[in-house]
Amino acid sequence: MDTVAQAFSAALSLDAIGATVLGTVVGLFFGSIPGLTFSMALALMLPFTFGMSATPALGLLLGVFVGGMTGGSVSAILLGIPGTPSAAATVFDGHPMAHKGEAGVALGSAVIASTFGGLFSLVVMILLLEQVAAVAIKFGPAEIFALVLFGLSTICGMAERSMLRGLVAGLLGLMMMIVGLDELDGVARLTFGTVQLQQGVNLLVAMIGLFAVPQVISTFIDHGRIKPLTIPDNVRASLPTLRQLKDRFWLMIRCSVIGTGIGAIPGTGGPIAAFLAYDHARRFSKHPEDFGKGELSGVVAPESANNAVTGGTMIPLLSLGIPGDPATAVILGGLLLHGLQPGPLLFQTHLSAIYALYVSIILAYVVILVVQLWGIRVFVKVLRVPPHLLAVCIIVMCVLGSYAIRNSTFDVYLMSVMGLLGYILQRLHIPVAPVVLGLVLGETLEKQYRTALILNENSHSIFYNSGVAMFFFGATALMLGLQLWSSLRKRRAAG
Amino acid sequence: MRLNRWLGPCIVVLALVWLWLTYAYIPAARVPEEPGPRAFPVVLGFSLLAVGIAISFAAWLRSSNKPSPELVKAVTARETAIVTGTFLLLIFYTFFMEKLGFMIATSVSILIVMRVLLGMRQWRFMLTFAISVTAVCWLFFVKLLETPLPRGLWLM
Repeated sequence: MDTVAQAFSAALSLDAIGATVLGTVVGLFFGSIPGLTFSMALALMLPFTFGMSATPALGLLLGVFVGGMTGGSVSAILLGIPGTPSAAATVFDGHPMAHKGEAGVALGSAVIASTFGGLFSLVVMILLLEQVAAVAIKFGPAEIFALVLFGLSTICGMAERSMLRGLVAGLLGLMMMIVGLDELDGVARLTFGTVQLQQGVNLLVAMIGLFAVPQVISTFIDHGRIKPLTIPDNVRASLPTLRQLKDRFWLMIRCSVIGTGIGAIPGTGGPIAAFLAYDHARRFSKHPEDFGKGELSGVVAPESANNAVTGGTMIPLLSLGIPGDPATAVILGGLLLHGLQPGPLLFQTHLSAIYALYVSIILAYVVILVVQLWGIRVFVKVLRVPPHLLAVCIIVMCVLGSYAIRNSTFDVYLMSVMGLLGYILQRLHIPVAPVVLGLVLGETLEKQYRTALILNENSHSIFYNSGVAMFFFGATALMLGLQLWSSLRKRRAAG
Repeated sequence: MRLNRWLGPCIVVLALVWLWLTYAYIPAARVPEEPGPRAFPVVLGFSLLAVGIAISFAAWLRSSNKPSPELVKAVTARETAIVTGTFLLLIFYTFFMEKLGFMIATSVSILIVMRVLLGMRQWRFMLTFAISVTAVCWLFFVKLLETPLPRGLWLM
């Protein structure tokens, strides 16, 4: 009981509330502007958490995360352009509703469905987290290695265009992690005498460079070529009627289940959940012909599913230390920065921090409700800021944020190089997210691999003598095989 | 330009360079019963080599069937200029932030971005914007977060 009280007092302190509110508003803002991602917002906000204690810092990051996921629906409904990939399915019916003069109901329903989905997944997360952690605590290095490998390969395998390119990206991230002092032997690896490189490629610096700089470059390139967005005047979000909500209550529950389940699988994320939920809503509707023409269920279903992903992705992150997508990879960075090592032991060492995290998520959804239902007019005005001016501000934040991490200009140079690399990878259709995940998970992967071998006198039999490890190796092979089969089938179908 | 045709060989070369660096600069295990600091980088190098070969093989298979629809958009002169310009600006900004301090370097860098990379000409707006952004950053980082930002080695 003391732990719960401690968690509440930490999460409801003035600075924690302030940080959560700020994070949520920033997340909503970044999520709603097409081209700005909330992964980028998370990376940019990380340096701001240095001076904070763990609870406000996590409140800020979680606020950006859930706010970003919800904010995507604003531009999807008003402009027909999803602010985030997760809101792409909301466009199908949200934008036609805006055309019919029902933008207010669409915005109001989207925020209600988002909050419902988010809180539903939070409940599932609370119920499941400790159970998963209790199983995972029995894992040895071989099992953890196989599990992390499974998480990483799923994420690489789910690369949008080609599984092989996803694997290249993941391997590049793992290779970057090698640079620096080896923790087990104390040997400097590939530092070439550079003192600053002995600490390795700083994760936060890499994230800022890889996520933010390519986006800024793209905005500069598009400046003057793309017409500025026309945002309608007098936008107001209105609550759906009780009848409308009652008719869609079970749909919201089913879609929240879909979102939470999909979110718990590393490498999937909001877009897949939202499209599956949209498809589910259409298939089971009495009037499937209304979908695509402004049907309210077509907004409610994807929005409840994509927000339910937030709780789902936190399950592997907190209980196993495996981030499911780029955003949770940044949150993992934030947790580590504040001395919270995600994994089964977290529940024994920092239980009150976990409870405080639950309270912060609830608080973030309250802020979302208030901002989107009553503050949407002010919010829409902020959306009118030209993207090229935002890009100028972002580039300044990239430099100052990277510098603030260790008060080192070397980090800023490194961030610039990472930014250039990120842009080149983007141009080659090599996804950036697996690079970051490789960097995040690489240390655990290597440490567990080597520890397992040390325990077994350098013999790999420790891996195939463990049933759990073999299960995860099998799952990895199956996942990659399925991806390969699916891409071959697509190619054949294309002729 | 077909992407996979040259991407695969490039990755193979990268993997070979990585393996050479690994064997040349990372020591092997001190104790034979332990994997040592070189083991994991070697695994990564061979994995990248395998992926590179797979990409090259896939590209070869495709070229013997029909052309891939996946093309890399041609790199335009404007794109090259903006990418190079942004990278050089970041280097310039960082260098002068250390030498002249955060205030001057930030304001000047913003003006350069707006004039050179974005082609803006409204000097009054540009000056106001540059000074405002610098002031907000100073308030946020220095006053609110108490993060020391460079004051300029040449000015101290």
